[in-house]
Order: sequence, then C-alpha cells, then structure tokens
Amino acid sequence: MKKLTHCGLIAAAALCGFLHPRALMAHGFEGDRFFPPTISTDDPFAVDELSLPTVNLFHDPGVPITREIDFGGEFDKELLPGWDLEFSDQFTTLLPKGSPSVNGWQNFDLGSKLELIQSPAHEFIASVGVDWAIGGTGGKSIGVDSFSTVSPAIFLGKGFGDLPDSVPMLKPFAITTDVAEAFPTEAANPNSLEWGIALEYSLIYLEQNVKDTGLAHPFRDMVPLVELVMNSPENRGGGETTGTVNPGVLYEGRYFQLGAEAVIPVNSHSGPNVGFLVNVNIFIDDLFPKLFGHPLFGGHSETASTETPATSAK
Amino acid sequence: MKTILITLLSCLVAVSAARAHAFVDHADPLVGSTVKTSPTEVKIFFTEKLILPFSDLKILDSTGQEVDRKDKHLDPSNGAVLIVSVPTLKPGKYTVSWRATSVDTHVTHGAFTFTVSS
Repeated sequence: MKKLTHCGLIAAAALCGFLHPRALMAHGFEGDRFFPPTISTDDPFAVDELSLPTVNLFHDPGVPITREIDFGGEFDKELLPGWDLEFSDQFTTLLPKGSPSVNGWQNFDLGSKLELIQSPAHEFIASVGVDWAIGGTGGKSIGVDSFSTVSPAIFLGKGFGDLPDSVPMLKPFAITTDVAEAFPTEAANPNSLEWGIALEYSLIYLEQNVKDTGLAHPFRDMVPLVELVMNSPENRGGGETTGTVNPGVLYEGRYFQLGAEAVIPVNSHSGPNVGFLVNVNIFIDDLFPKLFGHPLFGGHSETASTETPATSAK
Repeated sequence: MKTILITLLSCLVAVSAARAHAFVDHADPLVGSTVKTSPTEVKIFFTEKLILPFSDLKILDSTGQEVDRKDKHLDPSNGAVLIVSVPTLKPGKYTVSWRATSVDTHVTHGAFTFTVSS
C-alpha cells in the first residue's frame, strides 16, 4: 500500500509536471528567489493570489480631519501561462471629526497582467498590465468617481543573488517596481503618474542561499521591506505629488503571509500623520492545489524541461 | 488580550515549522559555513517531505565539476532530508545545488556554498 501511494505521488508529480508544469512554479519565484507578494505596491507576477483582508487605517489630508479605514481584498487568477485577471475592491469607512461617519464600497477594480521577460539566473522579471477602476460602481456616500480610470502599467522585479561573492550579505536584497499612467475617462480630470517601489531584504534568502546565521523561527521566515507609493498629477490642476513611505515586515507561514506596514506621508498633501496597514495573503495554490497554482488553460513551455525526473541541477 | 496575543504567536511559531513549498530549514554542512575537515555526506533538511525521483542534490567544486558520489537518497527515518555522499573533499569552496519536489508536487530549487579549509 505504501509503495502504491509512493507510485501514485510520482505519477501525480509527473502528470502535473508534463501537463501543467507551471502549476509547480506557483508563488512568485524567479530562479532561486521567492518574491513575496507586496502589500502597498503591485508585484510583477501573474499568479493565483488571494489577498484578504488588507486593512488600512490613516488620516485623509485636508479639512475636516477625517480618519479613514479601508477593508479590502484582491483575487488574481492565472488564465494562460504568465497571464492573469485581477479583481479587487475595498470597503471604506470615513470618520470626519465632528460629523457622522459614512461608509461604502470603492469603485470595483478589474486588472490584468502579462509576464513578458524572465531571467531566472538573474532573478529578473518584467511584466505589463492594465487596471480599470470602473466608475460609478462604488458608493456615492464616500464620493467615489463617477468616471472610470484606465491605467496601463509596467512591472519589474530584480533579486540581487547574482552579485559577486565578495558582497554576500547584499544578495538577499530584491527590488520590485510598478509604474502606471492613469487616464480618467472624463476629460476634465487630470492624468497622473502612479508609481511604487518595494525594497526587500529576504531573511529567507539569507538563511537558505547565503549564510545560515542561526536565526530562529519565526524571524528567519521574515522579509523586512520598505515600500514607496507615489502619485504625481500631470495636468488639469491636479495638484501636488502625494505619496507614502511604508516600512514594514512580511512573515511567510505555511499557507499564508502576514504583513504589516507603517504608512508615513511624504508631505503635508499626503496626510497629517502616520497610518497603519496590515494584510493577509492566503497561499491558495498550497491550500487548494487542484484548483489554484496553475493556469486555467495551457501549460508553460519554459518550465517543462525542469519538471522531468531530476537528472541534473542548476 | 494577553492570552489572545500569546495564542496568535504560538500559532505563528507552530506553522513556521513547515511549508507546502519545500524550503531549506538547515543543512549539514551549514549554508555558507567553513568546515575544518571534509564531510562524508551533505544533508539538506527541508521543510516538507520530498519525492526523490523529482528532487536532486549535487555537489560541485570550484570549476563546476560534480564531485559527489551520485547516490542521492532520502533519510529513511525522515523523508524531508535529502542526502548525497561525497569522497574526501580537498580544501576549497563547494557549491551545493538542489531541487526539491515536495509531496504536494510543488518545486523549489536553490544553491549555496560551503568551504573546506586547509
């Protein structure tokens, strides 16, 4: 029976490897690097993800002083190898000082991403995508836009594991970035450049690829990071550049990632004081491997050769 | 409140012991270490049990030549430990290159080095 079970596992691995090889490379892996899902910026991977919830507490700029609490979620599904659809929304509660609170849904967001260039040896990935914030789908009580905004974007990810051996402690660093141009469908509103950067130091990469420092769990499962989220209006009286610097940490568990970040406004136009952000990212490819972690249609030719029975390594 | 925090922390520590993707928990020799004498085998302790035919472990010298005995196997008492034996290694830097297919068929791979001192 034990032998049969073992044979069954091998058969399952072979079947998954040859029919859906991409299934075995879910999560955001590029070469030896695991890129954790970032929580303030968008990472370059078109893989199955469930981010639920993201809770964001901060104060809006302006008068009256208004505390905002956002409770959001995102679901991404890979349709074809390296191409996904992304759905997200959030429920917002506004607490203006001296006035009753109001709440409602933000406009529904529909997005898509396509992985274009991958270099596993250099832990590099480049993707393009587009986001459509669908106007009028949210609650009027919180003042959502009645018009849609379409934002084509590019995404980059680079791990520094290919740095020279003379600087081993820099190898755990990685950076991801997204740059989008937001075009409102109502001409009176400004276009804006939306961009973000995440700088990560992976203690996971340090411990398993560079040097075992003896760091204990759960600390060796963590990725400290700083994310920068910026918005620069470009025309039609769009106002000043706003943004936040978000230092925080991600913890990688077996079936989920926990993340927490401070949200620090870069200037007075971005908010009066520091906010806070927490996020849970559920690894649905690990929890439900038959349903998630592979494209809905097709395989992935790039990884097929690596999924045959092991005869060679890197 | 204190009880809730302790419970949450305990859950975090408990689940950190393993992942559905197989990651390196630790290795012998340790990742990035220097050992005085040649090991007789190299072991990697993964966070998940592996499927041996779809997993691999190679030891390469500084010229990239494979120097292990090509006898990769799992520890009979622990299916999460991948082992390969090596002959007496000369002083120098060696690369451990691995690929792990966990029993849920997820694949991870990586490499690290250790040094045998003179």
